[in-house]
Amino acid sequence: MFKREMKINLKSFIIWTSILIGLLLVVFLVYPSIINNENIEMMNEMMKMFPEEMLKAFNMDISSIDSAFGWLKTEGFVFILLITGIYSAILGSNILLKEESDKTIEYLNSVPVTRKNIVISKMLCGFLYITLMIAIIGIFNFIGLSLSGDFDKKLYILLSLTPLFSSIVIFSVCLFLSTFTHKTKKMFGISLGIVFASYFLNIISEMGESTEFLKYISIFTLSDIRNVIVNVSINPLMVLLSIGITCVFMILTMSHYQKKELV
Amino acid sequence: MGKHILEIQNLTKYYGKIKGVENLSLKLKEGEIFGFIGPNGAGKSTTIRSIMNLVNKTSGKVLIENEEFNKDNVKLKEKIGYLPSEIYLYDDLTVKEMLDYHEGFYKKNIHNRRMELVKKLELDEKKKIEDLSLGNLKKLGIILAFMHEPKLLILDEPTSGLDPIMQNVFYELLKEEKEKGNTVFYSTHILNEVSKICDRVGIIKEGKLIKVEKIEDLSKKSLTLVTITSSQAKEIKEDLKVNVILEEGNTIKFGNNLLPDELIKKLSKYTIDRILIEEATIEDMFLHYYQ
Repeated sequence: MFKREMKINLKSFIIWTSILIGLLLVVFLVYPSIINNENIEMMNEMMKMFPEEMLKAFNMDISSIDSAFGWLKTEGFVFILLITGIYSAILGSNILLKEESDKTIEYLNSVPVTRKNIVISKMLCGFLYITLMIAIIGIFNFIGLSLSGDFDKKLYILLSLTPLFSSIVIFSVCLFLSTFTHKTKKMFGISLGIVFASYFLNIISEMGESTEFLKYISIFTLSDIRNVIVNVSINPLMVLLSIGITCVFMILTMSHYQKKELV
Repeated sequence: MGKHILEIQNLTKYYGKIKGVENLSLKLKEGEIFGFIGPNGAGKSTTIRSIMNLVNKTSGKVLIENEEFNKDNVKLKEKIGYLPSEIYLYDDLTVKEMLDYHEGFYKKNIHNRRMELVKKLELDEKKKIEDLSLGNLKKLGIILAFMHEPKLLILDEPTSGLDPIMQNVFYELLKEEKEKGNTVFYSTHILNEVSKICDRVGIIKEGKLIKVEKIEDLSKKSLTLVTITSSQAKEIKEDLKVNVILEEGNTIKFGNNLLPDELIKKLSKYTIDRILIEEATIEDMFLHYYQ
């Protein structure tokens, strides 16, 4: 069952990973040519015109965009975070629910396999593809950065790992929510809503002290890029929280899926 | 008398406030083919889905070989072959890939039986599932239900979509299963199928099992169909207290349980222009119970 799961989800994995790699490739090819002393001067002048909150939202207050690595630390990883988040949300909401919407669940529930095993197979497949996507993007960027010049390798590796935390949580939350419905369309909207709401809450939370509390309700807080750039370390609390939340939602998914009926 | 392979105890299933089945109890003996009949919406599929744990029972139990059959009882699932009325399989797979996938769920080697069934039902393994006709999809469903040699077969409308030749091949398969001592729970609304292949029949009406009878007893029942044309048709109807199946002017048609002598004595009081007494078919009996 796990093998089949991997096979049917391979196509969307390739598409999403290729989109991300394609966009990053464009940056690696174009960035060195547009970055020269004159442009950097101009961009720095432009940055001064932006409000501080805005620069904070994209980590531009703690990093400059004068190199490909600089771009990655600012816009690049925010972008990777968002795309891997969307992929995880879609995967989480579809992987189990597709059996219901295609009505193949009647077959699957009649063969000698427990519902718990069905959920575990799908979860493992999801986690594996998310990890693979983040690893491939990480390796690709590593190669790109190595060709573009010198960069802080330790910081880069830590940064590359951060999208994993929010992505597995988004996947687990969406998988759990998918056990409440039989319609993939409905779940698609909900899952994207979770990603974008989380993303904007995260941005707003970094804009000032009065909105800081919002970070506690955003999944993207778990992938704290800002902390990684400033301290060159991953906050262990975020790692524990990600694992903890994922485990809780895994248990909730299995328990609720046990009661799900055929329609 | 063989041991009971399937036992349904006081099964009740409500969908919110809507009744699916109520207080349904039934025992199936090893080696019998049990026909489960009723029109659409009577509760046949709800009963089957409750047995298979595809829906949650409101109350009641299902036992397979005296052991309660719950959702995750994999050991008992291995003993059941299930064919739903509408088959939904993975469209991206070929027949061969689907059968390989199915084989993977069972510990024992079921490949030889699979090959036998594919040959018997003349199914092309190279075809993609999305390209299969309704009949071929049904054949694939039959192979999936039979290939692991289950002790209990639960079949919901198994012959719909099959051509008459394949229907006969399928009836032969059922006979073989019976000879092996396997049990079949056969849900259908095609009544002549029931009289042809089943040992016993259960009739379900509005979620309740109203009758369970041996086919031979059902055939022996002295139900006849009487058609009378008479100017006193109305009085006859009231006097005999019959359930009229058809009424057209002075002509009435009704199901009759009286012995011939008794019927003639009762009718002798009236002026009758025309009378026709026919033996009831299983369809007539079914309709009789439903009125």
